[in-house]
Amino acid sequence: MRGIDAGGIYLPRFRLSTEETAAAWGHADARGIDRKTVPAADEDALTMAVAAAERALESASLERSAIELVAMATTTPPMAEGDFLSRFVRMLALPEDVAGSVSTQHTAAGGEAFARALDADGPALVVAADCPEGDPADADHPLGAGAAAFVIDDEAVVPVRDIAWYSDETPGIRFRPRGEREIDSLDVTTYERSAVREAVTEAVTALEVDASEATAAALHQRDRKFPYRVAGDLPLSNEAVAAGTVVDRIGDAGAATVPIGLLAVLAEADEGESTVGGFFGGGTAVALELEGGFPIAGIDDLDGEEAIGYTEYLRKRGYVVEGEVAGGGANVSLPNWQGSLDQRYRLIAGECPDCGGVTFPPRGACQECHSRVEFERIEASRTGTIRALTVIGQGGAPPEFAELQQREGAYAVAIVALAAGDGEATLPAQLADVDPEAVAVGDTVRATIRRIYTQEGVPRYGVKFRSEG
Amino acid sequence: MRDAYVIGAGQSSFGSFPEETYLSLFESAFESTLNSVEGELPTEVIDEAHLGTLGVGGRQIGLSGPAVTEHIGLHGVPTTRVENACAASGYAFRQAVTAVRSGMVDVALAGGYEVMTDTSADGTKWWLGVSGETEWERISGTTFAGVYAQMASAHLEEYDTTVEDLSRVAVKNHANGAKNPKAHLGFECSLEDAVSAPSVADPLNLYHCCPTTDGASAVLVASEEVAREYGEELIRVAGAGASSGRVGLFQRGTLTSIPASVRAGEAAYEEAGIGPENLDFAEVHDCFAIAELLAYEDLGFCERGEAGRLLREGVTDPDGDLPTNTSGGLKSKGHPIGATGTGQIVEAFEQFRGEAHVQTDRPRYGLTHNVGGSGGGVTVHVFEREEAA
Repeated sequence: MRGIDAGGIYLPRFRLSTEETAAAWGHADARGIDRKTVPAADEDALTMAVAAAERALESASLERSAIELVAMATTTPPMAEGDFLSRFVRMLALPEDVAGSVSTQHTAAGGEAFARALDADGPALVVAADCPEGDPADADHPLGAGAAAFVIDDEAVVPVRDIAWYSDETPGIRFRPRGEREIDSLDVTTYERSAVREAVTEAVTALEVDASEATAAALHQRDRKFPYRVAGDLPLSNEAVAAGTVVDRIGDAGAATVPIGLLAVLAEADEGESTVGGFFGGGTAVALELEGGFPIAGIDDLDGEEAIGYTEYLRKRGYVVEGEVAGGGANVSLPNWQGSLDQRYRLIAGECPDCGGVTFPPRGACQECHSRVEFERIEASRTGTIRALTVIGQGGAPPEFAELQQREGAYAVAIVALAAGDGEATLPAQLADVDPEAVAVGDTVRATIRRIYTQEGVPRYGVKFRSEG
Repeated sequence: MRDAYVIGAGQSSFGSFPEETYLSLFESAFESTLNSVEGELPTEVIDEAHLGTLGVGGRQIGLSGPAVTEHIGLHGVPTTRVENACAASGYAFRQAVTAVRSGMVDVALAGGYEVMTDTSADGTKWWLGVSGETEWERISGTTFAGVYAQMASAHLEEYDTTVEDLSRVAVKNHANGAKNPKAHLGFECSLEDAVSAPSVADPLNLYHCCPTTDGASAVLVASEEVAREYGEELIRVAGAGASSGRVGLFQRGTLTSIPASVRAGEAAYEEAGIGPENLDFAEVHDCFAIAELLAYEDLGFCERGEAGRLLREGVTDPDGDLPTNTSGGLKSKGHPIGATGTGQIVEAFEQFRGEAHVQTDRPRYGLTHNVGGSGGGVTVHVFEREEAA
């Protein structure tokens, strides 16, 4: 039966405790949420989607070249209109002829993406990634970020035995006008709870399996209590609901919350155990039922506890910083940037057919023997060593990075050596998610794709490195 | 090939002069250059000019060279603007030497100019990184301080060099620059000041970095025949070395050396028929403190990894065996990018004339070392004072 063969979770490294939020505002609208994930200034739904998908693909038994469909879900694509799916495909080096869809506009988008992938033939990748924003005074309080990725195939380890839908118009629960960044809600409490409960109940009840047999359920969760209210008319135990509730540890990660909850369940589930998923958003509920479980790459991210304070939180999320790059003296044109994506995403270096030396980026003469040659394309390792290091302090960044620095503070820039062929590729790159004082020459680092900077309104992405100690 | 000689060299004051323009600064340097010539040199004898500038601030990007020579009354003289970042006028000088040596001209003017301090703080940051490798190095979020800091981190890791050694470079060069009335930062600093300054790009602090400076400098290069008309003792260009290297530090295979410096130095020594042991003084490119230490090693003043020791032992102090950066160097005298290379030759000229502010003892051989960017282009020149026959 068609279902899930592998899964990966990615959560940003830092956490903000609700206590911090409450101390800052005198109260916190985040019931039962202990802490939430905080995306770094260079992270967005795209980079988190790629990070989760990398983990899922690494733990999958199939090659990424076999993927025939990508179904993505997010309410926060970095651009309201523009390249998203195509960038995801390129960043992961998925086949150019892969089919794709992006579900957006409501928090049940993950359910939509599942439905699309389950209806298709051949290996598919489902990814939900989200980082919703709201008014910092209240709506933002519960909002976290994260991503979950699923490799879908026939004869799957975890079959999805059924999927069901229910739609009814119930506006005002969670909405965001075109052009706005922050989600809003009319907060008509009873109306909202009833609408969500009814929709999810109808969808779950429509499944061709008995929900009362489920040992776990990942249900729409905007706070810790909400999934229990949603389950009020369903034959689900509190233990089952608790097993699929992650909002207390990661916050409301929009369209990614239920998918992350599902993976949290699958990581613990035994063979034959039944799990129910219940998505809700925009008046639509999607329910599905899965059987069994398997180890989930990145599951330890759920236990992340690296705390930051509220001021740092506001900076990282960009609530208090807005940067605009003014005209300047150095420029990489967009076409030239596009021409280097194999290097910026996949670390493709050149091996000299004459001397075997490695050149990165693989252009011009060989860096070792200086001959003009046709390089052999080789992919450098995504793990490497810091060879040289500096820390760019506040105010010391080139203008392209002024906003990043305002949001992230001092950042480290390393020259990293990566094994490639019989030699090494070296490149300069920023270190992400790291205390710049806590890294040193000789440390091991691992590649991750992040937003590098935005120019002329177009965000540009490329490789950075995370410390592995 | 005939020899080329330096018959005059001068500079404007280096500093922050927002009321000046690149034209007025060069005018001042040119006047100082003419005044340095023994006897009256009619400007009509100047056959051509090679002027270096990066063009910080994006002012006259095209044709600034002719704009300068017309401004100073060298009407109609063929002028080439040379751009090799911080080595622009080192290369302009090389062009002038080549022109004279070839026999095509008898007198060539080399010089450089830069205005850096009249631009907004944000605008300046754009320009400070434009000579780094643009597509990768800059896009990793570094300016020049960051790239040199990376070299420092690697040198500190590989050898016994310490952060305090970096600070000692500043102490020495400021002590020299304090005596130079044309220096930008003409004050002394204590080791404590230089150790405790705020960080710019770890491990480099403020005292490990040269300032941004406005200024201009010029040198007159002439054939032997002309030179003999304007002086008893001749200053010969004994060795002219230059070399290019990969613009990005990450592309060079070494992080603790500037290979183009090594090659340029070897070429200059070979042509001069001397080695570093024969030098009586040197002006080296200390845009950042680590750069002076790398220069000691790259130019053979000491073995690899020994630069810190050389400095600590006082070898490069004014009373040491090889006084280095008696002008104050880029650190104290200042670094108006395009003016730096010929500015170093101004100090060399004054040393040979016995007119330097920190004078060495009757030097015979001196060296100037000018680096573009983090090592994409380097010139090294060896000069010899020829005693009157």
